[in-house]
Amino acid sequence: MPDTFFTEPPHWRWLIVLYFFVGGIAGGCFFLAALLHLVGRPTDRGLVRLGYYIAFVGVVVSGILLIVDLGRPERFWHMVIQSKTGRPMLKYWAPMSVGVWGLLVFGVCTFLAALGGLYEAGRVRWGIAGPLVRRPISTVIAIVGGIAGFFLAGYTGVLLSVTNRPIWADSSWLGALYLMSAASSAAALLILLARRRRVIDAVTLGGLERFDRYVLVLELLTLIVFLASLGSAARVFLSAWGVVLLLIVVAGILVPLVIASERFGRFRGRLLTPYTAAGLVLLGGFMLRVATIFPSEQVKVVGTRVLHP
Amino acid sequence: MGSNMAECHPVAFRWPMKAKLNGAKLIHVDPRFTRTSAMCDIHAPIRAGSDIAFLGGLINYVINSERWSSDPFFKEYVANYTNAATLINPSYKDTEDLDGVFSGLMQYTEHPEWPYNAFLGQYDPATWQYAATQIGDQGRVANTAQSGEQRVPSGQQGQARAGQQSTPGAAGAASAGTTNMGPPFDALVKSLLKPAPRTDPTLRDPHCVFQILKRHYARYTPEVVEQITGCPRQKFIQVADTLLANSGRDRTSAFAYAVAWTQHTIGVQIIGAAALLQLLLGNFGRPGGGIMALRGHAAIQGSTDVPTLYHSIHGYMPHPTALKKHDTLRDYLTAETLPTSYWANMPKFLVSYLKSMYGAAATPENDFGYDWHPKILGDHSHMATMAAMDDGRVHGMICIGQNPATSLNGPAQRRAMRKLDWLVVKDNWLTETATQWHSAPEIKDGDVKIEDIKTEIFFFPSTQVAEYEGSFTNTQRMLQWHHKAADPPGHCRTDTWFYYQLGKRLKQAYAESTLPRDEGWKNLVWNYDPDPAKGRSEQSTSGDADELELLKEINGFYTDDPNRHLAGFGELKDDGSTTCASWIYCGCFPAFGRNLTAQREPDPPGAPGAQLRWGYAWPANRRVLYNRASADPAGNPWSERKRWVWWDPAATNPPNAQTGAATPNGKWIGYDVPDFTVTKAPDAKPKPGGVGLDALSGTDPFIMKGDGKGWLFVPTGLVDGPLPTHYEPAESPVENLLYPKQQVSPVFKYWARNKEYNQLAKVGDARYPHVITTYRLTEHYLAGGMSRWLPWLTELQPELFIELGHALANEKGIRNLDMVKISTPRASIHARALVTDRIGVMTIAGKLIHHVGMPWHWGWEGLSTGDVVNDMTAWVGDPNVSIHEGKAFLCNVEKA
Amino acid sequence: MAEPMGFFTDTTVCIGCKACEVACKSWNQLPARAGGDPAMSGQSYDNTLRLSGNTWRHVKFVEQFDRPYEGRWLMLSDVCKHCVQAGCLEVCPTGAIIRTEFDTVVIQSDVCNGCRACIGACPFGVIDINEVSGTAQKCTLCYDRMSVGLEPACSKACPTDSIQFGPIEELRKRAHARVEQLQAAGETRARLYGADPAGPLGGLNAFFLLVDDPEVYGLPPDPALPSRNLSSSAAASTAAAVVAGAVGLVTLRHNRMKDVSEAEAPHRDTEDSSPDGSK
Ligand SMILES: Nc1nc2c(c(=O)[nH]1)N[C@H]1C(S)=C(S)[C@@H](COP(=O)(O)OP(=O)(O)OC[C@H]3O[C@@H](n4cnc5c(=O)[nH]c(N)nc54)[C@H](O)[C@@H]3O)O[C@H]1N2
Ligand SMILES: Nc1nc2c(c(=O)[nH]1)N[C@H]1C(S)=C(S)[C@@H](COP(=O)(O)OP(=O)(O)OC[C@H]3O[C@@H](n4cnc5c(=O)[nH]c(N)nc54)[C@H](O)[C@@H]3O)O[C@H]1N2
Ligand code: SF4
Ligand code: SF4
Ligand code: SF4
Ligand code: SF4
Ligand code: SF4
Ligand SMILES: [Mo]
Repeated sequence: MPDTFFTEPPHWRWLIVLYFFVGGIAGGCFFLAALLHLVGRPTDRGLVRLGYYIAFVGVVVSGILLIVDLGRPERFWHMVIQSKTGRPMLKYWAPMSVGVWGLLVFGVCTFLAALGGLYEAGRVRWGIAGPLVRRPISTVIAIVGGIAGFFLAGYTGVLLSVTNRPIWADSSWLGALYLMSAASSAAALLILLARRRRVIDAVTLGGLERFDRYVLVLELLTLIVFLASLGSAARVFLSAWGVVLLLIVVAGILVPLVIASERFGRFRGRLLTPYTAAGLVLLGGFMLRVATIFPSEQVKVVGTRVLHP
Repeated sequence: MGSNMAECHPVAFRWPMKAKLNGAKLIHVDPRFTRTSAMCDIHAPIRAGSDIAFLGGLINYVINSERWSSDPFFKEYVANYTNAATLINPSYKDTEDLDGVFSGLMQYTEHPEWPYNAFLGQYDPATWQYAATQIGDQGRVANTAQSGEQRVPSGQQGQARAGQQSTPGAAGAASAGTTNMGPPFDALVKSLLKPAPRTDPTLRDPHCVFQILKRHYARYTPEVVEQITGCPRQKFIQVADTLLANSGRDRTSAFAYAVAWTQHTIGVQIIGAAALLQLLLGNFGRPGGGIMALRGHAAIQGSTDVPTLYHSIHGYMPHPTALKKHDTLRDYLTAETLPTSYWANMPKFLVSYLKSMYGAAATPENDFGYDWHPKILGDHSHMATMAAMDDGRVHGMICIGQNPATSLNGPAQRRAMRKLDWLVVKDNWLTETATQWHSAPEIKDGDVKIEDIKTEIFFFPSTQVAEYEGSFTNTQRMLQWHHKAADPPGHCRTDTWFYYQLGKRLKQAYAESTLPRDEGWKNLVWNYDPDPAKGRSEQSTSGDADELELLKEINGFYTDDPNRHLAGFGELKDDGSTTCASWIYCGCFPAFGRNLTAQREPDPPGAPGAQLRWGYAWPANRRVLYNRASADPAGNPWSERKRWVWWDPAATNPPNAQTGAATPNGKWIGYDVPDFTVTKAPDAKPKPGGVGLDALSGTDPFIMKGDGKGWLFVPTGLVDGPLPTHYEPAESPVENLLYPKQQVSPVFKYWARNKEYNQLAKVGDARYPHVITTYRLTEHYLAGGMSRWLPWLTELQPELFIELGHALANEKGIRNLDMVKISTPRASIHARALVTDRIGVMTIAGKLIHHVGMPWHWGWEGLSTGDVVNDMTAWVGDPNVSIHEGKAFLCNVEKA
Repeated sequence: MAEPMGFFTDTTVCIGCKACEVACKSWNQLPARAGGDPAMSGQSYDNTLRLSGNTWRHVKFVEQFDRPYEGRWLMLSDVCKHCVQAGCLEVCPTGAIIRTEFDTVVIQSDVCNGCRACIGACPFGVIDINEVSGTAQKCTLCYDRMSVGLEPACSKACPTDSIQFGPIEELRKRAHARVEQLQAAGETRARLYGADPAGPLGGLNAFFLLVDDPEVYGLPPDPALPSRNLSSSAAASTAAAVVAGAVGLVTLRHNRMKDVSEAEAPHRDTEDSSPDGSK
């Protein structure tokens, strides 16, 4: 029995799963938007703004989820400022501490980027927002925010790994996995929303879809590496969670890949549309977090007996 | 053996654990593998109720062992310090001769005045006596039956009225005696002297105790032990060998028992068997030896010393009874004084006690008020009183610190209490006893209607111990003072307040009476108000008695100068010049400001550990009783390692205080207070015609015994035989293998035997195939009043359960935590199953018997509730002390 | 820092009386579970089952039996180990968890915000949320009592001295002597758990004498700090970020996109019935 099985679950449940998912998407969307901002075409502006908006909404939702999940929400600021001394609170070796700062930085970037976007789209007319859409500030925001975005997408996995819990701490690949999944989910969401709001052209759409496809493949590879690295802790998946994981792979990765693949074009039909594909990727991304968090949460020691799913 | 010490006496279990770290071997003999067993080197499982077979087996094994025969220590100890050499009346017949009964068995007829003594039969113990003499056991009243319930001469002079003729001579003369025989009562005591017992120091005479007991236990072989107890032979032999190896000059073994030995129809005999074994092994009067009664409630020892017992008055003196010739003070003293041994001082104890009761009104002319003292007329113990109550013969009951609605045979007792006119409950909580009228199972089930209960129930909220000061007497006879830590909430009052006020009011009620029977009330001394002159102010609740005044009354003082406390019971007089409620406690409070019970000075580390400055142990602050036996007959320690009290021939003594005559050199000294006449040399011979300790020699350590010996064979005092004999419990799944013609004790107590609610299962009754025992958990306390209201304790053991083995569980399709139904001929209850290997199936006489067990702490009140286990037990008990057989009966277990 | 203080728990003299549990709750005024009437667990005499935010001591019971009556019943009073290298302290983002002058690990209840990082970080499953305070709580090694020179409540209440409190150095000596004694008496399984300063977590300031493998008592055989995964995990994530970034760059860069779009566009338009938002 791995040592991690003798520990207690931190009760990170739906709120945290949601946060990880939303945060990942926010990070991924910002990253993609920033990329398009930096290397895309002028026609991508609508998409860039959409990405920034999503990221901003995502970060707000993330913050709320995080705070609500605290045992003492009114003390959320203790993570940033030492409550007794008033000095900044940062432990670079503690993922949650770094994560909070990352979220903060990211939050600032998304705020600025979204504000800039609104200005650019003519929704707000405050002069101070002007410089936000101009170089070099917009570039700095894009670069810093993009990195922070990917950080946000990936640190959640690192956070889990830097515990003593089953699955999480039994592999170093959870961060990578979450990052890949955040990227694929973000692309999927962008595709979905951009199509609905007609802010994407076929070229960029094609690029995004291709991005999604590659990342899905990478995600699958990372998942395999992750599972292999679990060693004996993988026994947790010798349960209904194994089936869930299989479903995620099939429905959340393989099916979308098939839909996207030109060679299997004949499988496309009324049901298997790119919408479905994007939806499945999103669902898969969400379920991946569920299927990596909940089984671990279910392992605990009762008396002297180790219970696992 | 006989207790679950780690669970029930966890704080005292500290010491076995210290001993374990010092390399001591620990053994636990118990039907269950308990938390105690977990700590022990050997756990020997035995069927509940089979202890005498096991102990008898040990006795037989020991006396036939190589070590016991070859190491001279054992012979020396046994021949000198026990009655092994004493010759018994040649007409004595053993159970081996009479198919399981001793000579003298006869029918028992109830006394019409009080038909609740409940013996199945009775013995005339005339033939159990020492040859050509009678050695009394007066004054030692652990034994309720000595109150004269059996109208046969039980070997005591002037025992019962009916048997008076059997002891003519000196006793007769004394009882007929003239008033000028006392006080002082020296002449009376001297007149009671008997010839000394005859002995055969070679131990070869067929009538000597040693030969008798050897024959008695010859059939208790390891094979028989295995057959009866279910304990595997090798385990038994392992126990026997360990015990032998750890007894001798250099080592001692101790037994610790509690109610696993007492709660049987043969309880006293089980303890007797252990005492016998320990005497054979030389384990009495020595450090690390003895048999330890681990007592129950915090001050239960105190409650027998300063008794709440019906059959004794303070200091283990028999309660005056209408069933014996106790008509006058002289009659009482004649009947109850043992002329040899320390008990020869009984007139001093009793007169000082009467002075404490009646003060100035008690004079030599009126026999110190002896006539005012109440007398008893039979068994007034718990179950007897309940049986009488059920017959409508008891009208009121004050229930303080007890919860009888659940703590013994529940339905029967609740039924009895419903016949009362009034019931007072004084407790910390509304216990089951207080709420039975509306919440008992029979009322919930509709069998009894509330309207039909005429009893008026009063509830008085009570304080807890931490809310007042006072003393506890622990299992080591040690008094320890405790201080008040908090004020009681609300209107809670102490128990002393209640009794003190009740007493005052009753005195007032009787003040005007002219009836002779109320003289006692009128003359009763009842003033324990705090004395401001001593710096004692009123307690938080005004009207309470002052604890130190009470302690002073118990300790005793000079009648003419109440501020001069007695320094010890040696100062007691039989002429009324001393006042002392309880002679055994005399000395614990030798002066105001010197409350020795409040001492708290431990011995320094590495000291032998008598801890004489911690608390105060009666008698006279002795820690090990009969400690003369810790030295060999010549007075030297048996070994360096086991040095405790010894004779120092060179020590000089002060001259005799009265005569001024020089006292020869030589003195008993040691770590402890010697339990012996300190200046009596080891080679001293009994003084011809001497009374009291003068009648004993320098090698007679057991100074409370008439012959100064430890009794292997008990010639007098027990109503069910002089030697412990294996009988089955009142309910048993098997026949008595050793005595097929005598299944159970022929004389045990069985109340309400024709009542439907108190029926027993027959031997081998297929409807009740399993052996069940009941016990305690560390996490709970007794009927639950002190634990089931406390969330920190209830969360630790939240539900009633039954422990059963996997074999039974599989057979009945019971899984862990299933609800099961447990039934006896009296009742059925429900509990959760706890399936475990810590209890299980045993092979008894070739039959596979399932053994189960239940803790009994639950009831319907409190935070954690559950069925009442005692709804299933029966009113059967030990004939000597009337305790119920709660430890071994039969049941059935089914999935509910 | 004062001398490191802690507990040596000799499980061979633990009688499972749970006095330590009650003493802890009483001193720290911690509530009983389920109002004092939880369900019975059926796991031997253990109805506490785990350490938690309002149970800082937990007596474990292990029944080891081959047949009825033939076996052992092990008991162990579990508590926070006050690790010399403490996982909980390492991850706490608010700084609520501190190391005291006695080398013990204490959660400051007024600082903790209930993020629960420490719960999963503890290698022993010691910490949990206290429902009343909403913060993570665990044994404080009676910091309040120690500060005024009193022994912790639990060890004080322990009747058999199974829990011994004192300077770690001294406790270690005593513990080694006891193991030797047990070994000599034939108990070859006797061992110390957490007494080695060179061992896992730099040693535990609450260490144990066991007579079986740690797993038997529900203890991890080789406890480790959560940060052991930090660098590898961060590296893997960074690598993944770089790869994903590269893929993004490759797939979304302006020029490349145009090339591809030309090749793909027609095919796409016919196959896809969706209202395409291009331009
Ligand atoms: N925690 C706690 N401590 C207590 C009490 C309490 O309620 N709770 N009660 C106090 C009181 S009043 C008393 S009297 C004492 C009682 O103290 P104990 O006598 O030690 O307590 P019990 O649990 O009744 O019984 C002890 C053991 O007897 C075993 N047993 C049953 N039948 C037999 C038998 O026939 N032979 C042998 N050898 N063993 C048998 C049972 O399995 C049980 O393990 O404890 C006192 N201490
Ligand atoms: N089947 C079975 N039955 C048994 C036993 C067994 O082993 N098996 N054991 C027997 C034994 S040994 C005993 S001792 C009895 C015990 O049986 P009981 O004496 O009837 O039960 P307790 O719970 O001790 O009752 C004591 C009550 O006193 C209250 N109390 C506590 N302190 C005070 C105080 O200062 N003043 C007052 N007025 N009240 C106070 C408590 O709340 C409690 O309700 O049970 C016996 N019954
Ligand atoms: S409950 Fe009281 S009397 Fe019993 S062991 Fe504990 S401290 Fe001693
Ligand atoms: S045992 Fe757990 S809670 Fe205690 S100090 Fe170590 S890591 Fe922290
Ligand atoms: S729950 Fe409290 S103590 Fe634990 S890591 Fe979070 S802030 Fe620190
Ligand atoms: S040291 Fe104090 S806080 Fe820790 S378990 Fe013991 S009593 Fe509880
Ligand atoms: S108090 Fe001591 S003996 Fe009792 S359970 Fe706790 S550690 Fe064990
Ligand atoms: Mo008792």
